Amino acid sequence: MSTPSVSPIPRRAPFDPLGKFPEGVKAAYTKYLQTADAAALDTVVLAVVRDYVPKTVVLPTDQPLPDNARLIADLGFDSLAISETVFFLEDLFKVRITNAEIIKVRTVGELRSFVRAKLASLPARKR
Amino acid sequence: MPSTAAITGLGFITSIGLTKAEVANRLRHGQSGLVEFDFCGNPRHPVKVAAPVPGFYFDGPNWREWSWPAGYEIPRETVRGLPPHGVYAFCAIEQALADAGLRLEDITSSDTGLFCASAGSPYMMWHHLEELAASQYERGHPLSVVSSIAGTLNFNLAAHFRITGAVAGFVSACTSGSHAIGYALDEIRLGRQQRMIVVAAEELNAQTDLPFAAMRALSTNPDPATASRPFDVERDGFVPTGGAVVLILEAPELAQARGAKAYAEISGWGQAADGYNVATSHPEGLGLRNAMLRAAKDAGIAMSDVDYINAHATSTPAGDRSEALALRSLIAPDARTIVSGTKGLTGHGLSMAGVMEAAFCALTFSEKFLPGNPKLVNPDPVCKGLNLPKESIAADPRIVMNNTSGFGGSNVCHVLRAPSPAFARS
Repeated sequence: MSTPSVSPIPRRAPFDPLGKFPEGVKAAYTKYLQTADAAALDTVVLAVVRDYVPKTVVLPTDQPLPDNARLIADLGFDSLAISETVFFLEDLFKVRITNAEIIKVRTVGELRSFVRAKLASLPARKR
Repeated sequence: MPSTAAITGLGFITSIGLTKAEVANRLRHGQSGLVEFDFCGNPRHPVKVAAPVPGFYFDGPNWREWSWPAGYEIPRETVRGLPPHGVYAFCAIEQALADAGLRLEDITSSDTGLFCASAGSPYMMWHHLEELAASQYERGHPLSVVSSIAGTLNFNLAAHFRITGAVAGFVSACTSGSHAIGYALDEIRLGRQQRMIVVAAEELNAQTDLPFAAMRALSTNPDPATASRPFDVERDGFVPTGGAVVLILEAPELAQARGAKAYAEISGWGQAADGYNVATSHPEGLGLRNAMLRAAKDAGIAMSDVDYINAHATSTPAGDRSEALALRSLIAPDARTIVSGTKGLTGHGLSMAGVMEAAFCALTFSEKFLPGNPKLVNPDPVCKGLNLPKESIAADPRIVMNNTSGFGGSNVCHVLRAPSPAFARS
Protein backbone atom coordinates (compact mmCIF):
# COMPACT_ATOMS: atom_id res chain seq x y z
CA MET A 1 0.00 0.00 0.00
CA SER A 2 1.26 3.47 -0.73
CA THR A 3 0.00 6.86 0.35
CA PRO A 4 0.22 9.55 -2.31
CA SER A 5 1.11 12.95 -0.94
CA VAL A 6 -1.28 15.84 -1.54
CA SER A 7 -0.54 19.38 -0.43
CA PRO A 8 -2.78 20.62 2.35
CA ILE A 9 -5.37 23.23 1.39
CA PRO A 10 -3.63 26.63 1.32
CA ARG A 11 -4.53 29.29 3.89
CA ARG A 12 -7.01 31.83 2.64
CA ALA A 13 -6.12 35.46 1.97
CA PRO A 14 -8.61 38.24 2.86
CA PHE A 15 -11.37 38.28 0.24
CA ASP A 16 -11.36 41.27 -2.11
CA PRO A 17 -14.88 41.68 -3.57
CA LEU A 18 -13.51 43.32 -6.72
CA GLY A 19 -10.50 40.98 -6.84
CA LYS A 20 -11.46 39.32 -10.13
CA PHE A 21 -12.74 42.49 -11.81
CA PRO A 22 -10.72 44.24 -14.56
CA GLU A 23 -8.08 46.73 -13.42
CA GLY A 24 -10.10 49.59 -14.95
CA VAL A 25 -13.03 48.77 -12.67
CA LYS A 26 -10.83 48.67 -9.56
CA ALA A 27 -9.30 52.00 -10.56
CA ALA A 28 -12.76 53.50 -11.12
CA TYR A 29 -13.83 52.31 -7.65
CA THR A 30 -10.78 53.96 -6.05
CA LYS A 31 -11.42 57.12 -8.05
CA TYR A 32 -15.06 57.21 -6.95
CA LEU A 33 -14.11 56.78 -3.28
CA GLN A 34 -11.58 59.61 -3.56
CA THR A 35 -13.48 62.08 -5.75
CA ALA A 36 -17.15 60.95 -5.83
CA ASP A 37 -16.86 61.08 -9.62
CA ALA A 38 -20.22 59.97 -11.06
CA ALA A 39 -18.76 58.53 -14.28
CA ALA A 40 -16.38 56.34 -12.23
CA LEU A 41 -19.37 55.15 -10.19
CA ASP A 42 -21.20 54.22 -13.39
CA THR A 43 -18.22 52.15 -14.49
CA VAL A 44 -18.35 50.14 -11.27
CA VAL A 45 -22.14 49.66 -11.31
CA LEU A 46 -22.14 48.50 -14.93
CA ALA A 47 -19.32 46.05 -14.22
CA VAL A 48 -21.25 44.64 -11.28
CA VAL A 49 -24.40 44.21 -13.38
CA ARG A 50 -22.40 42.46 -16.07
CA ASP A 51 -20.84 40.21 -13.45
CA TYR A 52 -24.20 39.09 -12.10
CA VAL A 53 -25.73 38.31 -15.47
CA PRO A 54 -26.37 34.55 -15.54
CA LYS A 55 -23.84 32.91 -17.79
CA THR A 56 -26.52 31.46 -20.07
CA VAL A 57 -27.10 34.94 -21.52
CA VAL A 58 -24.19 35.77 -23.78
CA LEU A 59 -23.27 39.45 -23.84
CA PRO A 60 -20.75 41.03 -26.19
CA THR A 61 -17.83 41.95 -23.95
CA ASP A 62 -16.56 44.73 -26.21
CA GLN A 63 -19.73 46.82 -26.02
CA PRO A 64 -21.17 48.81 -23.09
CA LEU A 65 -24.43 47.63 -21.55
CA PRO A 66 -27.21 49.69 -23.13
CA ASP A 67 -29.17 51.84 -20.69
CA ASN A 68 -32.46 50.48 -21.99
CA ALA A 69 -31.54 46.80 -21.39
CA ARG A 70 -34.08 45.31 -18.98
CA LEU A 71 -32.45 43.31 -16.18
CA ILE A 72 -35.01 40.49 -16.24
CA ALA A 73 -36.43 40.46 -19.75
CA ASP A 74 -33.20 41.18 -21.66
CA LEU A 75 -30.30 40.17 -19.40
CA GLY A 76 -31.82 37.04 -17.84
CA PHE A 77 -31.74 38.18 -14.23
CA ASP A 78 -34.04 36.40 -11.79
CA SER A 79 -35.10 37.71 -8.39
CA LEU A 80 -32.09 36.04 -6.74
CA ALA A 81 -29.61 37.60 -9.15
CA ILE A 82 -31.14 41.03 -8.48
CA SER A 83 -30.94 40.39 -4.71
CA GLU A 84 -27.31 39.32 -5.11
CA THR A 85 -26.47 42.46 -7.10
CA VAL A 86 -28.10 44.63 -4.44
CA PHE A 87 -26.28 42.76 -1.65
CA PHE A 88 -22.96 43.23 -3.44
CA LEU A 89 -23.54 46.95 -4.06
CA GLU A 90 -24.61 47.41 -0.43
CA ASP A 91 -21.32 45.90 0.73
CA LEU A 92 -19.22 47.81 -1.76
CA PHE A 93 -20.68 51.23 -0.98
CA LYS A 94 -21.71 50.64 2.65
CA VAL A 95 -25.37 51.48 2.03
CA ARG A 96 -28.72 49.83 2.68
CA ILE A 97 -31.12 49.41 -0.21
CA THR A 98 -34.74 48.53 0.60
CA ASN A 99 -37.09 46.24 -1.31
CA ALA A 100 -39.31 49.26 -2.04
CA GLU A 101 -36.36 51.03 -3.68
CA ILE A 102 -35.09 48.15 -5.80
CA ILE A 103 -38.49 47.01 -6.99
CA LYS A 104 -38.74 50.23 -9.05
CA VAL A 105 -35.50 49.48 -10.90
CA ARG A 106 -36.09 47.59 -14.16
CA THR A 107 -33.36 48.65 -16.56
CA VAL A 108 -29.60 49.12 -16.51
CA GLY A 109 -30.08 52.89 -16.86
CA GLU A 110 -32.52 52.99 -13.95
CA LEU A 111 -30.06 51.10 -11.75
CA ARG A 112 -27.24 53.44 -12.72
CA SER A 113 -29.36 56.51 -11.89
CA PHE A 114 -30.64 54.92 -8.69
CA VAL A 115 -27.14 54.19 -7.35
CA ARG A 116 -25.94 57.71 -8.31
CA ALA A 117 -28.85 59.32 -6.48
CA LYS A 118 -28.60 56.99 -3.51
CA LEU A 119 -24.92 57.68 -2.94
CA ALA A 120 -25.25 61.41 -3.64
CA SER A 121 -27.84 61.60 -0.88
CA LEU A 122 -25.38 60.24 1.71
CA PRO A 123 -23.18 62.38 3.92
CA ALA A 124 -19.66 62.59 2.43
CA ARG A 125 -18.10 60.56 5.28
CA LYS A 126 -20.08 57.47 4.28
CA ARG A 127 -18.48 57.19 0.88
CA MET B 1 -42.99 -3.86 -12.90
CA PRO B 2 -39.24 -4.49 -12.78
CA SER B 3 -37.82 -6.27 -9.72
CA THR B 4 -34.35 -4.77 -10.12
CA ALA B 5 -32.76 -1.53 -11.25
CA ALA B 6 -29.77 -1.49 -13.58
CA ILE B 7 -26.80 0.71 -12.67
CA THR B 8 -25.92 2.23 -16.04
CA GLY B 9 -23.74 5.17 -15.02
CA LEU B 10 -21.23 6.05 -12.32
CA GLY B 11 -19.57 9.31 -11.31
CA PHE B 12 -16.71 9.63 -8.84
CA ILE B 13 -15.29 12.70 -7.13
CA THR B 14 -13.40 10.99 -4.30
CA SER B 15 -10.23 11.02 -2.28
CA ILE B 16 -9.01 8.06 -4.32
CA GLY B 17 -9.78 9.46 -7.73
CA LEU B 18 -11.79 11.73 -9.96
CA THR B 19 -12.48 9.10 -12.62
CA LYS B 20 -13.83 5.57 -12.61
CA ALA B 21 -10.53 4.22 -13.95
CA GLU B 22 -8.45 5.87 -11.23
CA VAL B 23 -10.83 4.76 -8.47
CA ALA B 24 -10.84 1.16 -9.71
CA ASN B 25 -7.06 1.15 -9.99
CA ARG B 26 -6.49 2.50 -6.50
CA LEU B 27 -9.07 0.18 -4.94
CA ARG B 28 -7.46 -2.76 -6.68
CA HIS B 29 -3.96 -1.83 -5.55
CA GLY B 30 -4.89 -0.61 -2.09
CA GLN B 31 -3.69 2.98 -2.60
CA SER B 32 -5.18 5.21 0.05
CA GLY B 33 -6.37 8.82 -0.22
CA LEU B 34 -5.44 9.64 3.37
CA VAL B 35 -2.90 12.41 4.01
CA GLU B 36 -1.78 14.66 6.83
CA PHE B 37 -4.38 17.41 6.98
CA ASP B 38 -4.68 20.74 8.76
CA PHE B 39 -8.38 21.38 9.51
CA CYS B 40 -8.25 24.65 11.38
CA GLY B 41 -4.71 26.01 11.74
CA ASN B 42 -4.53 24.83 15.34
CA PRO B 43 -1.40 22.73 15.91
CA ARG B 44 -2.79 21.49 19.24
CA HIS B 45 -5.82 19.88 17.56
CA PRO B 46 -5.51 16.10 17.93
CA VAL B 47 -7.03 15.24 14.52
CA LYS B 48 -4.18 15.23 12.01
CA VAL B 49 -5.31 13.03 9.11
CA ALA B 50 -8.08 13.30 6.52
CA ALA B 51 -8.83 12.24 2.95
CA PRO B 52 -9.28 15.40 0.85
CA VAL B 53 -10.42 15.44 -2.76
CA PRO B 54 -7.53 16.58 -4.97
CA GLY B 55 -8.08 19.37 -7.48
CA PHE B 56 -10.87 21.18 -5.61
CA TYR B 57 -10.18 24.28 -3.52
CA PHE B 58 -12.79 26.11 -1.46
CA ASP B 59 -10.74 28.93 -0.07
CA GLY B 60 -13.56 30.85 1.59
CA PRO B 61 -17.37 30.92 1.50
CA ASN B 62 -17.60 32.98 -1.71
CA TRP B 63 -17.68 30.90 -4.91
CA ARG B 64 -15.31 33.41 -6.53
CA GLU B 65 -12.63 31.95 -4.27
CA TRP B 66 -13.25 28.39 -5.43
CA SER B 67 -11.59 26.33 -8.10
CA TRP B 68 -12.33 22.90 -9.52
CA PRO B 69 -10.80 20.75 -12.24
CA ALA B 70 -10.91 21.96 -15.85
CA GLY B 71 -13.60 20.37 -17.98
CA TYR B 72 -16.54 21.02 -15.63
CA GLU B 73 -18.45 24.14 -16.69
CA ILE B 74 -20.65 25.31 -13.82
CA PRO B 75 -22.75 28.26 -14.97
CA ARG B 76 -22.86 31.40 -12.87
CA GLU B 77 -26.56 30.94 -12.12
CA THR B 78 -25.87 27.46 -10.73
CA VAL B 79 -22.65 27.96 -8.77
CA ARG B 80 -24.10 30.96 -6.91
CA GLY B 81 -26.41 28.65 -4.91
CA LEU B 82 -24.02 25.76 -4.32
CA PRO B 83 -22.11 24.83 -1.19
CA PRO B 84 -18.68 23.23 -1.68
CA HIS B 85 -20.11 19.71 -1.71
CA GLY B 86 -22.60 20.87 -4.34
CA VAL B 87 -19.62 21.49 -6.63
CA TYR B 88 -18.45 17.93 -6.04
CA ALA B 89 -21.99 16.69 -6.72
CA PHE B 90 -22.32 18.72 -9.93
CA CYS B 91 -19.09 17.24 -11.31
CA ALA B 92 -20.00 13.67 -10.29
CA ILE B 93 -23.43 13.97 -11.97
CA GLU B 94 -21.90 15.31 -15.19
CA GLN B 95 -19.53 12.34 -15.18
CA ALA B 96 -22.29 9.79 -14.52
CA LEU B 97 -24.66 11.21 -17.16
CA ALA B 98 -21.89 11.00 -19.75
CA ASP B 99 -20.97 7.49 -18.56
CA ALA B 100 -24.59 6.35 -18.95
CA GLY B 101 -24.83 7.99 -22.38
CA LEU B 102 -27.96 9.94 -21.49
CA ARG B 103 -29.26 12.74 -23.68
CA LEU B 104 -30.74 16.01 -22.47
CA GLU B 105 -34.28 14.84 -23.20
CA ASP B 106 -33.72 11.68 -21.11
CA ILE B 107 -32.64 13.78 -18.14
CA THR B 108 -35.45 16.33 -18.34
CA SER B 109 -38.14 13.69 -18.97
CA SER B 110 -40.74 13.34 -16.21
CA ASP B 111 -39.72 9.66 -16.11
CA THR B 112 -36.36 10.69 -14.58
CA GLY B 113 -36.03 11.59 -10.90
CA LEU B 114 -33.26 12.82 -8.63
CA PHE B 115 -32.60 11.63 -5.08
CA CYS B 116 -29.87 13.31 -3.06
CA ALA B 117 -28.08 12.60 0.20
CA SER B 118 -26.39 15.41 2.08
CA ALA B 119 -26.19 16.73 5.59
CA GLY B 120 -26.15 20.29 4.24
CA SER B 121 -23.22 22.62 4.65
CA PRO B 122 -22.37 23.61 8.22
CA TYR B 123 -19.55 25.69 6.72
CA MET B 124 -21.87 27.85 4.60
CA MET B 125 -24.47 27.94 7.38
CA TRP B 126 -21.87 29.11 9.90
CA HIS B 127 -20.61 31.85 7.60
CA HIS B 128 -24.06 33.10 6.63
CA LEU B 129 -25.41 33.06 10.19
CA GLU B 130 -22.34 34.93 11.40
CA GLU B 131 -23.00 37.60 8.74
CA LEU B 132 -26.70 37.73 9.64
CA ALA B 133 -26.01 37.96 13.37
CA ALA B 134 -23.53 40.79 12.80
CA SER B 135 -26.41 42.91 11.52
CA GLN B 136 -28.71 41.79 14.34
CA TYR B 137 -30.44 39.55 11.77
CA GLU B 138 -31.39 42.48 9.53
CA ARG B 139 -29.22 41.66 6.55
CA GLY B 140 -28.18 38.31 5.11
CA HIS B 141 -26.94 36.89 1.82
CA PRO B 142 -29.82 36.09 -0.56
CA LEU B 143 -28.41 32.64 -1.38
CA SER B 144 -27.73 31.70 2.25
CA VAL B 145 -30.67 29.30 2.58
CA VAL B 146 -30.31 27.35 -0.64
CA SER B 147 -26.53 27.04 -0.27
CA SER B 148 -26.53 25.68 3.24
CA ILE B 149 -29.57 23.79 4.54
CA ALA B 150 -29.84 20.04 4.22
CA GLY B 151 -31.84 20.13 0.96
CA THR B 152 -29.17 22.15 -0.83
CA LEU B 153 -28.26 19.41 -3.30
CA ASN B 154 -31.80 18.69 -4.41
CA PHE B 155 -32.72 22.40 -4.69
CA ASN B 156 -29.77 23.33 -6.83
CA LEU B 157 -29.25 20.20 -8.90
CA ALA B 158 -32.93 19.70 -9.75
CA ALA B 159 -33.05 23.28 -11.05
CA HIS B 160 -29.78 23.04 -12.97
CA PHE B 161 -30.48 19.70 -14.65
CA ARG B 162 -34.15 20.64 -15.28
CA ILE B 163 -35.42 17.54 -13.47
CA THR B 164 -39.20 17.14 -13.77
CA GLY B 165 -39.66 13.74 -12.11
CA ALA B 166 -39.43 12.88 -8.41
CA VAL B 167 -36.97 15.02 -6.43
CA ALA B 168 -36.15 14.48 -2.76
CA GLY B 169 -33.35 14.60 -0.25
CA PHE B 170 -32.40 12.08 2.40
CA VAL B 171 -30.99 12.95 5.80
CA SER B 172 -30.14 9.99 8.01
CA ALA B 173 -26.51 10.75 8.79
CA CYS B 174 -24.25 8.00 7.47
CA THR B 175 -27.15 6.00 6.00
CA SER B 176 -28.45 8.96 3.92
CA GLY B 177 -26.91 7.79 0.65
CA SER B 178 -28.06 4.22 1.19
CA HIS B 179 -31.60 5.35 1.90
CA ALA B 180 -31.53 7.38 -1.33
CA ILE B 181 -30.53 4.25 -3.29
CA GLY B 182 -33.13 2.07 -1.58
CA TYR B 183 -36.00 4.45 -2.19
CA ALA B 184 -34.79 5.08 -5.74
CA LEU B 185 -35.03 1.32 -6.37
CA ASP B 186 -38.56 1.44 -4.96
CA GLU B 187 -39.53 4.30 -7.33
CA ILE B 188 -38.46 2.16 -10.28
CA ARG B 189 -40.06 -1.01 -8.94
CA LEU B 190 -43.34 0.81 -8.37
CA GLY B 191 -43.27 2.10 -11.92
CA ARG B 192 -43.34 5.70 -10.74
CA GLN B 193 -40.03 6.51 -12.41
CA GLN B 194 -38.09 4.81 -15.18
CA ARG B 195 -34.75 6.30 -14.22
CA MET B 196 -33.24 7.77 -11.04
CA ILE B 197 -30.14 9.86 -10.58
CA VAL B 198 -28.81 9.19 -7.06
CA VAL B 199 -26.17 11.57 -5.76
CA ALA B 200 -24.54 11.69 -2.34
CA ALA B 201 -21.99 14.28 -1.28
CA GLU B 202 -20.22 15.64 1.73
CA GLU B 203 -17.77 18.39 2.57
CA LEU B 204 -14.41 17.99 4.24
CA ASN B 205 -13.79 20.90 6.58
CA ALA B 206 -13.67 21.84 10.24
CA GLN B 207 -17.37 22.71 10.39
CA THR B 208 -18.61 19.39 8.97
CA ASP B 209 -16.05 17.10 10.55
CA LEU B 210 -14.62 18.39 13.80
CA PRO B 211 -17.90 18.16 15.71
CA PHE B 212 -17.34 14.39 15.37
CA ALA B 213 -14.06 14.82 17.25
CA ALA B 214 -16.11 16.29 20.09
CA MET B 215 -17.96 12.94 20.15
CA ARG B 216 -14.58 11.14 20.26
CA ALA B 217 -15.46 9.45 16.97
CA LEU B 218 -12.48 10.65 14.89
CA SER B 219 -9.10 8.94 14.75
CA THR B 220 -6.29 10.87 16.44
CA ASN B 221 -3.66 8.65 14.86
CA PRO B 222 -1.31 11.13 13.11
CA ASP B 223 -0.02 8.60 10.56
CA PRO B 224 -2.01 8.36 7.28
CA ALA B 225 -0.56 4.86 6.75
CA THR B 226 -2.24 3.44 9.85
CA ALA B 227 -5.16 5.79 10.63
CA SER B 228 -8.53 4.27 9.60
CA ARG B 229 -7.93 0.51 9.73
CA PRO B 230 -11.27 -1.22 9.89
CA PHE B 231 -11.45 -4.40 12.00
CA ASP B 232 -7.88 -3.96 13.34
CA VAL B 233 -7.38 -4.23 17.12
CA GLU B 234 -5.67 -0.83 17.05
CA ARG B 235 -8.40 1.07 15.22
CA ASP B 236 -9.18 4.30 17.07
CA GLY B 237 -11.90 6.13 15.13
CA PHE B 238 -12.81 7.22 11.63
CA VAL B 239 -10.93 9.50 9.25
CA PRO B 240 -13.20 11.97 7.42
CA THR B 241 -13.41 12.46 3.67
CA GLY B 242 -15.45 14.60 1.29
CA GLY B 243 -16.55 14.28 -2.33
CA ALA B 244 -19.54 13.05 -4.29
CA VAL B 245 -20.56 9.82 -5.97
CA VAL B 246 -23.43 9.25 -8.39
CA LEU B 247 -25.33 6.18 -9.54
CA ILE B 248 -27.69 6.23 -12.52
CA LEU B 249 -30.41 3.63 -11.95
CA GLU B 250 -32.73 2.56 -14.75
CA ALA B 251 -35.54 0.09 -15.28
CA PRO B 252 -33.65 -2.81 -16.93
CA GLU B 253 -36.03 -2.96 -19.90
CA LEU B 254 -35.54 0.73 -20.62
CA ALA B 255 -31.76 0.45 -20.30
CA GLN B 256 -31.67 -2.48 -22.73
CA ALA B 257 -34.03 -0.78 -25.16
CA ARG B 258 -31.77 2.24 -25.46
CA GLY B 259 -28.68 0.05 -25.80
CA ALA B 260 -27.16 1.02 -22.44
CA LYS B 261 -24.71 -1.24 -20.63
CA ALA B 262 -25.07 -2.07 -16.94
CA TYR B 263 -22.42 -2.43 -14.25
CA ALA B 264 -24.78 -4.32 -11.98
CA GLU B 265 -28.40 -4.67 -11.00
CA ILE B 266 -29.62 -3.69 -7.57
CA SER B 267 -31.85 -6.61 -6.71
CA GLY B 268 -32.94 -5.80 -3.18
CA TRP B 269 -32.59 -3.70 -0.11
CA GLY B 270 -33.51 -3.78 3.52
CA GLN B 271 -33.39 -1.53 6.52
CA ALA B 272 -33.82 -2.02 10.24
CA ALA B 273 -33.04 0.17 13.22
CA ASP B 274 -31.33 -0.81 16.46
CA GLY B 275 -33.83 0.76 18.86
CA TYR B 276 -30.90 1.27 21.15
CA ASN B 277 -28.79 4.47 21.21
CA VAL B 278 -28.53 7.86 19.49
CA ALA B 279 -24.90 7.37 18.43
CA THR B 280 -23.55 3.92 19.35
CA SER B 281 -24.58 0.86 17.41
CA HIS B 282 -26.26 -2.08 19.08
CA PRO B 283 -23.53 -4.16 20.79
CA GLU B 284 -24.41 -7.30 18.80
CA GLY B 285 -25.33 -5.43 15.62
CA LEU B 286 -28.95 -6.50 15.88
CA GLY B 287 -30.33 -3.83 13.52
CA LEU B 288 -27.64 -4.40 10.91
CA ARG B 289 -28.24 -8.16 11.04
CA ASN B 290 -31.95 -7.56 10.43
CA ALA B 291 -31.22 -5.13 7.60
CA MET B 292 -29.01 -7.76 5.89
CA LEU B 293 -31.67 -10.45 6.33
CA ARG B 294 -34.35 -8.18 4.89
CA ALA B 295 -32.15 -7.23 1.94
CA ALA B 296 -31.37 -10.88 1.23
CA LYS B 297 -35.05 -11.81 1.41
CA ASP B 298 -35.99 -8.90 -0.84
CA ALA B 299 -33.38 -10.00 -3.40
CA GLY B 300 -34.44 -13.65 -3.11
CA ILE B 301 -31.00 -14.89 -2.10
CA ALA B 302 -29.48 -16.81 0.79
CA MET B 303 -26.58 -15.33 2.76
CA SER B 304 -24.46 -18.23 1.49
CA ASP B 305 -24.90 -16.85 -2.06
CA VAL B 306 -23.01 -13.66 -1.20
CA ASP B 307 -19.54 -13.40 -2.74
CA TYR B 308 -18.53 -10.10 -1.17
CA ILE B 309 -19.74 -7.69 1.50
CA ASN B 310 -18.56 -4.09 1.59
CA ALA B 311 -18.79 -3.50 5.33
CA HIS B 312 -19.75 -0.15 6.83
CA ALA B 313 -16.63 -0.53 9.05
CA THR B 314 -15.68 3.07 9.82
CA SER B 315 -12.78 1.99 12.06
CA THR B 316 -14.44 3.01 15.32
CA PRO B 317 -13.91 0.51 18.16
CA ALA B 318 -17.62 -0.01 18.89
CA GLY B 319 -19.01 0.19 15.34
CA ASP B 320 -16.67 -2.37 13.75
CA ARG B 321 -17.24 -4.70 16.67
CA SER B 322 -21.03 -4.71 16.29
CA GLU B 323 -20.75 -5.15 12.54
CA ALA B 324 -18.33 -8.07 12.92
CA LEU B 325 -20.80 -9.76 15.28
CA ALA B 326 -23.72 -9.11 12.92
CA LEU B 327 -21.71 -10.58 10.03
CA ARG B 328 -20.64 -13.62 12.04
CA SER B 329 -24.24 -14.31 12.98
CA LEU B 330 -25.11 -14.69 9.27
CA ILE B 331 -21.95 -16.02 7.61
CA ALA B 332 -20.69 -19.50 8.35
CA PRO B 333 -17.01 -19.65 9.51
CA ASP B 334 -15.95 -21.58 6.40
CA ALA B 335 -17.98 -19.49 3.97
CA ARG B 336 -16.30 -18.09 0.86
CA THR B 337 -17.82 -14.63 1.43
CA ILE B 338 -15.12 -11.94 1.31
CA VAL B 339 -15.55 -8.95 3.62
CA SER B 340 -13.71 -5.64 3.37
CA GLY B 341 -13.94 -2.13 4.75
CA THR B 342 -12.91 0.29 2.02
CA LYS B 343 -12.98 3.27 4.41
CA GLY B 344 -9.41 2.30 5.27
CA LEU B 345 -8.52 3.62 1.80
CA THR B 346 -11.07 6.38 1.27
CA GLY B 347 -11.90 7.66 4.74
CA HIS B 348 -15.52 7.95 5.86
CA GLY B 349 -17.76 10.09 3.65
CA LEU B 350 -20.70 10.31 6.11
CA SER B 351 -23.84 10.98 3.97
CA MET B 352 -21.87 9.91 0.91
CA ALA B 353 -20.68 6.56 2.30
CA GLY B 354 -23.52 4.33 1.11
CA VAL B 355 -23.47 5.58 -2.47
CA MET B 356 -19.67 5.58 -2.71
CA GLU B 357 -19.49 2.00 -1.53
CA ALA B 358 -22.45 0.85 -3.65
CA ALA B 359 -20.50 2.25 -6.60
CA PHE B 360 -17.41 0.29 -5.49
CA CYS B 361 -19.60 -2.82 -5.32
CA ALA B 362 -20.91 -2.10 -8.83
CA LEU B 363 -17.32 -1.97 -10.11
CA THR B 364 -16.52 -5.45 -8.78
CA PHE B 365 -18.56 -7.03 -11.60
CA SER B 366 -16.99 -5.21 -14.54
CA GLU B 367 -13.48 -4.87 -13.04
CA LYS B 368 -13.46 -8.47 -11.78
CA PHE B 369 -11.93 -7.92 -8.36
CA LEU B 370 -13.00 -7.65 -4.73
CA PRO B 371 -11.32 -4.90 -2.68
CA GLY B 372 -9.14 -6.00 0.24
CA ASN B 373 -8.24 -4.62 3.67
CA PRO B 374 -4.69 -3.39 3.00
CA LYS B 375 -4.27 -1.68 6.39
CA LEU B 376 -5.46 -4.62 8.47
CA VAL B 377 -2.48 -5.93 10.46
CA ASN B 378 -3.94 -7.50 13.61
CA PRO B 379 -7.58 -8.45 13.11
CA ASP B 380 -9.69 -7.95 16.21
CA PRO B 381 -10.47 -11.38 17.70
CA VAL B 382 -14.14 -10.41 17.46
CA CYS B 383 -13.74 -10.92 13.68
CA LYS B 384 -12.83 -14.61 14.08
CA GLY B 385 -14.15 -16.63 11.16
CA LEU B 386 -14.64 -13.65 8.83
CA ASN B 387 -12.73 -13.75 5.56
CA LEU B 388 -10.87 -10.41 5.59
CA PRO B 389 -8.14 -10.58 2.94
CA LYS B 390 -5.41 -7.95 3.00
CA GLU B 391 -4.95 -7.76 -0.77
CA SER B 392 -7.72 -7.36 -3.31
CA ILE B 393 -8.83 -10.61 -4.93
CA ALA B 394 -9.41 -11.35 -8.60
CA ALA B 395 -12.95 -12.66 -8.85
CA ASP B 396 -16.06 -12.87 -10.99
CA PRO B 397 -18.73 -12.17 -8.38
CA ARG B 398 -22.43 -12.90 -8.86
CA ILE B 399 -23.86 -11.37 -5.64
CA VAL B 400 -22.42 -8.60 -3.46
CA MET B 401 -23.80 -6.71 -0.48
CA ASN B 402 -23.26 -3.18 0.80
CA ASN B 403 -23.78 -2.35 4.48
CA THR B 404 -24.33 1.09 5.97
CA SER B 405 -25.13 2.23 9.50
CA GLY B 406 -25.91 5.68 10.84
CA PHE B 407 -26.80 7.65 13.94
CA GLY B 408 -29.92 6.62 15.76
CA GLY B 409 -29.06 3.01 14.98
CA SER B 410 -30.34 3.18 11.42
CA ASN B 411 -29.00 0.38 9.20
CA VAL B 412 -29.39 -0.16 5.45
CA CYS B 413 -28.19 -3.01 3.27
CA HIS B 414 -28.30 -3.35 -0.54
CA VAL B 415 -27.89 -6.45 -2.67
CA LEU B 416 -26.26 -6.09 -6.08
CA ARG B 417 -26.10 -8.87 -8.63
CA ALA B 418 -24.15 -9.38 -11.83
CA PRO B 419 -26.13 -7.78 -14.68
CA SER B 420 -28.00 -9.88 -17.16
CA PRO B 421 -25.49 -10.87 -19.91
CA ALA B 422 -27.82 -9.14 -22.41
CA PHE B 423 -26.54 -5.74 -21.30
CA ALA B 424 -23.52 -6.33 -19.05
CA ARG B 425 -20.48 -4.08 -19.29
CA SER B 426 -17.53 -6.20 -20.29
